[in-house]
Amino acid sequence: MDIAVLDKLRAVVGPANVLSDVDLAPYVVEGRTPEAALFPGSVDEVRAVVEIAAGADVPIVPWGGGTAAAVGTPAPRAGLVLGLRRLAQLLEHEPGDLTATVEAGMTMATLQSALRARGQWLSLDPPDPEQATIGGVIAANASGPRRHLYGTARDLLIGVTVVTGDGVVVRGGGKVVKNVAGYDLPKLFVGSHGTLGVIVSVTVKLRPLPDDERLVAVVFDRSKDAGAAARAVMGSDLIPNALELVDAEASRALGLDSAVGPGGCALIVGFDGVGEQVEWQCGELGRITAPLGGRAVRPLPEEAWTRLASAARDAFDPPAAVMRLIVLPAAVTEAIEHGASAARQRGLRSAWSCHAGVGVITAALASSGALPEPGPIASVLHDWRALARAAGGHATLDWAPLAVKSAVPVWDDAGAAGRIMQRLKASLDPHNVLNPGRFVAGI
Amino acid sequence: MLGRGAVLSDPEELLVYESDGLTLFRALADFVVFPTSAEHVSAIVKLANREGLPFVARGAGTGLSGGCLPAEGGIVISLMRMNRILEIDYENQVAVVEPGLVNLHLSWAVGQRGYYYAPDPSSQQACTIGGNIANNSGGPHTLKYGVTTNHVLGLEVVMPDGDIVWLGGKTRESFGYDLAGVFVGSEGTFGVATKVCVRILKKPQAVKTILAVFERVDQASAAVSAIIARGLVPAAVEMIDQLTIAAVEDAFGCGYPRDAAAALLAELDGLAVGMDAQVARIVEACRDSGAREVRTARDETERQLLWKGRKSAFGAYGRVSPAYMVMDGVIPRTKLPYVLSRVNEIVAGHGLRVGNVFHAGDGNLHPNILYDPRKPGEEARVVEAGAEIMRLCAEVGGSISGEHGIGLEKADFMPFIFSAADLEFMHRLKRAFNPTGRCNPGKIFPTRKSCGEAGPVAYRPHPIEEKGLAQRF
Ligand SMILES: Cc1cc2nc3c(=O)[nH]c(=O)nc-3n(C[C@H](O)[C@H](O)[C@H](O)COP(=O)(O)OP(=O)(O)OC[C@H]3O[C@@H](n4cnc5c(N)ncnc54)[C@H](O)[C@@H]3O)c2cc1C
Repeated sequence: MDIAVLDKLRAVVGPANVLSDVDLAPYVVEGRTPEAALFPGSVDEVRAVVEIAAGADVPIVPWGGGTAAAVGTPAPRAGLVLGLRRLAQLLEHEPGDLTATVEAGMTMATLQSALRARGQWLSLDPPDPEQATIGGVIAANASGPRRHLYGTARDLLIGVTVVTGDGVVVRGGGKVVKNVAGYDLPKLFVGSHGTLGVIVSVTVKLRPLPDDERLVAVVFDRSKDAGAAARAVMGSDLIPNALELVDAEASRALGLDSAVGPGGCALIVGFDGVGEQVEWQCGELGRITAPLGGRAVRPLPEEAWTRLASAARDAFDPPAAVMRLIVLPAAVTEAIEHGASAARQRGLRSAWSCHAGVGVITAALASSGALPEPGPIASVLHDWRALARAAGGHATLDWAPLAVKSAVPVWDDAGAAGRIMQRLKASLDPHNVLNPGRFVAGI
Repeated sequence: MLGRGAVLSDPEELLVYESDGLTLFRALADFVVFPTSAEHVSAIVKLANREGLPFVARGAGTGLSGGCLPAEGGIVISLMRMNRILEIDYENQVAVVEPGLVNLHLSWAVGQRGYYYAPDPSSQQACTIGGNIANNSGGPHTLKYGVTTNHVLGLEVVMPDGDIVWLGGKTRESFGYDLAGVFVGSEGTFGVATKVCVRILKKPQAVKTILAVFERVDQASAAVSAIIARGLVPAAVEMIDQLTIAAVEDAFGCGYPRDAAAALLAELDGLAVGMDAQVARIVEACRDSGAREVRTARDETERQLLWKGRKSAFGAYGRVSPAYMVMDGVIPRTKLPYVLSRVNEIVAGHGLRVGNVFHAGDGNLHPNILYDPRKPGEEARVVEAGAEIMRLCAEVGGSISGEHGIGLEKADFMPFIFSAADLEFMHRLKRAFNPTGRCNPGKIFPTRKSCGEAGPVAYRPHPIEEKGLAQRF
């Protein structure tokens, strides 16, 4: 980057809030070192930084906790990291309104503990809550097991303030839980991966903390039976807040590996509510699953919730690739069985976990050795994507080494909708400065 | 293209389509067409583009903001003949339907198997899924279950250039920008939905309805917050004020105490187990807030009677006033006491009366201003009072519409809550979908052009109200 540009940026945020050279190590993505990293301390500074960077044609990479920084097509140019960590205040929390307005850089863990102190929570439980920021979680559309009942960021985000690629502050939605005035801009930013605006603050809907919550596991010898059990639960009167399937490999992260044999599967179910509701549902769960081959219902410890959110990814350290497959809920076990066998055929181990009730699967491949051969990995990933598509769904390559990414596109083909997305990006970020080249349809 | 009987151009027949549920505005189309397939819609849209004509989709015409009016003439595309249920997939809890399907017909179709479609606008016996999508419609039970957008997974859309495109699909998640998400609530300005994938839900095991009666309105408002503070998310919390209670009791006798300042109707649903404990908590919250009486419906008949009081409010207004106009605004729940008293002051300041019956649980106000259209100047005063109420909602951090949309009615109020930059950004979004602006022009943005012979006209009940099929909130 031009030294004069860097000087201007320094003047805006103060030299202490600019990193360059060796200090940039934590911000290296896929081997690329950013041109600088800046940490503005106010919305106005964000605006000024965007204006200067855009004026100099330097791509801007909004950065929350960095947990999803490697998601996306490898960047054509590293650009400027715009870190939101200094914008981390809880701006407003009115418990009676069940809403909170929070700056984008606050971590999920900090936000949740502030809300919990007043008897509420944001019903969004993505992995890595200690690092992931609320802005990043929304931009990456990250979610966890409780999405089964409570939905995802799109269901909880009611207002958003962003700085656009031309350095303008734009607000969408509002602070009230019901609002149809104007276009639903918050939806636009969920899952937009920083390509339409730098999210600086958000307003979210909250829920009261339940009296009681429990996570339990039912182990099956065959994944097919676990799938049938998941469907039986969905068709029953139970109202679980999580409905997960994990295979033998992924169950290691939950300490269930001794119980789940090869080819087996654990159905993990969460319940919340008043005490007697939780109690009754756990009992019913046993009654529903036993005839389908489910062994005893066993309680899991509190920590299992967070482990569950990343169970497949954490099965191998490190994994060779992680893919998310979206299929119809009734098709999950078949997808898992076929996917695991596709990996086996190429001599690779795989780990599977899924939000069974909504059909969102995470699959990880084990790396064999320090420098795994990209060929077989890519072939398996192609197979996985093909089977997701055959089931009416799609797949996103969440993580893989560069060599694999060069053989397997990160994003699925968005078809005609992709052309609308391109028009949208061109209209909303006309200078193409926000995270260019990393998203769907070449955006 | 469409065959005989699928095109109207006779001015007499076109008159039927000059308004929606908000009769303040009127605009005449050049043609009204009745396609039966996405290919038809696509061909119509392409023709309109060739001829340089504007076009607008129309469902049942129950909208309350003038959204489906052909503000600049052109073609009205009625979706009423595209009303089939294409697929019901119980295992995946999804239904694929055509946009002209009447909302309630979907719940009927899946009801046998213990399912229902959650968004329940009061107009659900008449309004269409397509109209619901365009307006992101809500209803009493959106407090717990969310509005239309929370139930739509994907759409087939005829884009404003005539292309047929799927946004999202049957799966719970799509990738890339959430195009289906921004289409919902775009009030027909992003294209015409021709197929819709929606979630269907299992009916709850148990339902309990509670009526709480208060001597003071601020006590009822406080009870709303107290319920929430006790860790409960009821399925619905509705408020009915004194004028409304008195009118309802005079007309129908639903058993509400006539002299009460306000009543709350709260509904809990979910598991049968634990229900009593939760009901007890609501009762306690209401008592602690000063309720003089709290009653739980003992059976379905009593429950229906309590809801009848709420639902027949509109009909009751008809008995105490020749006409009324419904407002729609949203405020943070905690501002209810202040805002309700201000609303009363504003309306009284214009020499008019107001009845409030609304979705208190999510702060969605519906002040109904009573007036007499035969008295010169009254209607203009209603419109002025309405604008002041909208400004009030904006001032306390709320919104100018919770469910009825902006349409023609509130386009000029958009600057109350959005900056020029916000509106410009929305404009750019619109251009990405609708670059020529031919798809439903003149709506949402505060650049209203004159629309036909619009101007204050006398109140007329919507046909579905006349038939007793729906209440106006
Ligand atoms: C008595 C009464 C009670 C009401 N109660 C409620 C309530 O409780 N909650 C609530 O939210 N609303 C309520 N409404 C308002 C109204 O019913 C809703 O806005 C409803 O969703 C409109 O549906 P419709 O089919 O009548 O649409 P229309 O009025 O025909 O059209 C509404 C908008 O949808 C667009 N549109 C229609 N079909 C399509 C399509 N296929 N593709 C794209 N755009 C389309 C139109 O262009 C227009 O902008 C009520 C109205 C009345 C008259």
